[in-house]
Amino acid sequence: MQLLDIRNLTVEMKTPHGIVRVLDKVNLQLGKGEIHSLVGESGSGKSLLAKAIVGFANPNWEVTADRLWWNGQDLLAMNTKQRRAVTGRDMAMIFQDPYSYLDPNSTIEQQIVEAIPEGDVRGTFMRRRVDRKTRVKRLLHRVGIRDHESVIDSYPFELSQGVAQKVSIAIAIAHRPRLLIADEPTTAMEPSTKLQIHRLLARLAASQEMSVLLISQDLTSILPETKQLTLLYCGQLMETGPAEEVINHPAHPYTDSMLRMSLQTQQELPHKARLPTLPGAIPTLRHMPIGCRLGPRCPYAQKQCVKAPLATQKQQRVFHCHFPLLELES
Amino acid sequence: MIRYLSSRLFVFIIAFFLLTVFTFSLNFFFPGDPVTNMTGVRTFSDYYPVISEIRGADKNIAFQYINYMQNLLSGNWGASLSSGDYVFEHTYQHLFASLELIVGALVLAVLIGVPSGIFAATQFRGPIDKGVISLAMAGYSIPVFWLAQLLILFFAVKLDWLPITGQINPLYGIAPQSGSILIDIVISDSDYKAAALQDALNHLILPVIILSIMPMMLLLRLMRNATQDMLQKPYVKAARARGLNEFQVLIKHAVPNATQSVLQQVPLIFSLLLSNSIVIESIFNWPGIGNWLVRAIFERDFPVIQACVLIIALTILLFNLVVDLYRGWRFPIVRQE
Repeated sequence: MQLLDIRNLTVEMKTPHGIVRVLDKVNLQLGKGEIHSLVGESGSGKSLLAKAIVGFANPNWEVTADRLWWNGQDLLAMNTKQRRAVTGRDMAMIFQDPYSYLDPNSTIEQQIVEAIPEGDVRGTFMRRRVDRKTRVKRLLHRVGIRDHESVIDSYPFELSQGVAQKVSIAIAIAHRPRLLIADEPTTAMEPSTKLQIHRLLARLAASQEMSVLLISQDLTSILPETKQLTLLYCGQLMETGPAEEVINHPAHPYTDSMLRMSLQTQQELPHKARLPTLPGAIPTLRHMPIGCRLGPRCPYAQKQCVKAPLATQKQQRVFHCHFPLLELES
Repeated sequence: MIRYLSSRLFVFIIAFFLLTVFTFSLNFFFPGDPVTNMTGVRTFSDYYPVISEIRGADKNIAFQYINYMQNLLSGNWGASLSSGDYVFEHTYQHLFASLELIVGALVLAVLIGVPSGIFAATQFRGPIDKGVISLAMAGYSIPVFWLAQLLILFFAVKLDWLPITGQINPLYGIAPQSGSILIDIVISDSDYKAAALQDALNHLILPVIILSIMPMMLLLRLMRNATQDMLQKPYVKAARARGLNEFQVLIKHAVPNATQSVLQQVPLIFSLLLSNSIVIESIFNWPGIGNWLVRAIFERDFPVIQACVLIIALTILLFNLVVDLYRGWRFPIVRQE
């Protein structure tokens, strides 16, 4: 059974200009200990999907789904309290900007201690204090911070961005979650820190049987250990499937364009050559195209594309396109 | 911390210097002859040349300032023209009498204003929040002198629960020593200490409550806005997602951070309290610094005016310094600014 099973998740947002569908029937399955990468440009609704999963509810949003199951339990059928208990126990999330997700006026120790479940420490008052401290140190070591002495009493603003992100990972894994959602955790970080954090996430997934949902803007910053890959565009699911197959044989024009963009960053472009981007710009919330939202920008688009394409399934891969680049055996 | 401490102290010293320059220059700004104004010795008196000589009135201005500072720091603040008492001893007595009111009002304002502000923030935009905020707005806008008289009329005259004016019934015969009536009663050798204390507290109730209303409402609004602000912060949402309940989120994250931003405004509230206390003391005939200042102005008692201005400003400066240091100690992020 899948750990996380999402079928036709739709999020509608109330704006002054009417209701906007920011996530349109998205499917996502996640197995135990699996690394799943969610790729999409800004405005594709990838962070929104993550927030819908952990229940960062905003009163303006209407979340509906045929299925939002966590470990066989229906998350949408729960009330806020039950849901917070489940997500607090099983899930954790890290974010793009670690500073704004750490309390500026608490020390690192206080914040990690707060994340350690009460049931983990037993004994007398003094025993518990000592126990908590050793746990904090162990957690810091596990996320690759060796000099815990200087970090443990620091405030977030005294740390570098990389260390702050590692601390937020330590906070996230303090209660041994089964799912870690990493929302662009390495954006605007230097390459070595980026690599460290990526390896840390991969190691955690492998050693703790923790599933990781990694959200990133482009295909260059996904983990090599990624098992499943999902591409979103403007709230619609473009393509999903095993990472290797998707990257080697893209079925959707959008995947193809993203891949070529990420390849171009590695190869040298001739002087004054055009960047191989899709024409046009990402539509604004008020002006979402009907049908396939990639339509106006897609080089393969035809008349049919004003109707949303149904899902095409080929072995483990699913894509939504009228004109896939992949040969379909009939 | 040492850098922060020294920078705060430096600011304090500069401010203190400017303050003394200002009070010193008052010597020359009061209409009339500076020596006559400050000592009461007329120009045609035989003593005038002697006094002039002692005060160095014919020397240059820098010398006079240094002379003034020496007197200031050695506690030689001159004598009141109307009563002939030494100003220094009376200044701190009056100051303590005022601080008794002000500290009481501040404590009351914090005890009521801060929790209700936090509570209003949790009910943001709800009917309770709106009610509390409108009440705060009304309380903040009511003129203090009018409200004071209204409450005197009701509680003191009509119901006869509380005394109308003064610090204590003079029949108890408590001699003023520190200025603060509660301390004076405790250190006095009166036979009726408990009864005197009771009477003094009865006298305190009305002025303290009236004085506290404005800062209380201000604190309430500040705290409500700051807490509401902090409740929107990503780290609070993250703490909620981590499974903390609303109360823990409030106590551990929202309130400390809100306190950090509200503390910045507290010195302003304190100076508001000091200036309001001038009005309240006049109404309740409280022997505080404000009452004394107002009387001194009517009597053209220049040494007293000078001392009052100095001590009121100095108290505000000191309070500012203490709050700043506390903020820097408790919230290290403040030191970065």
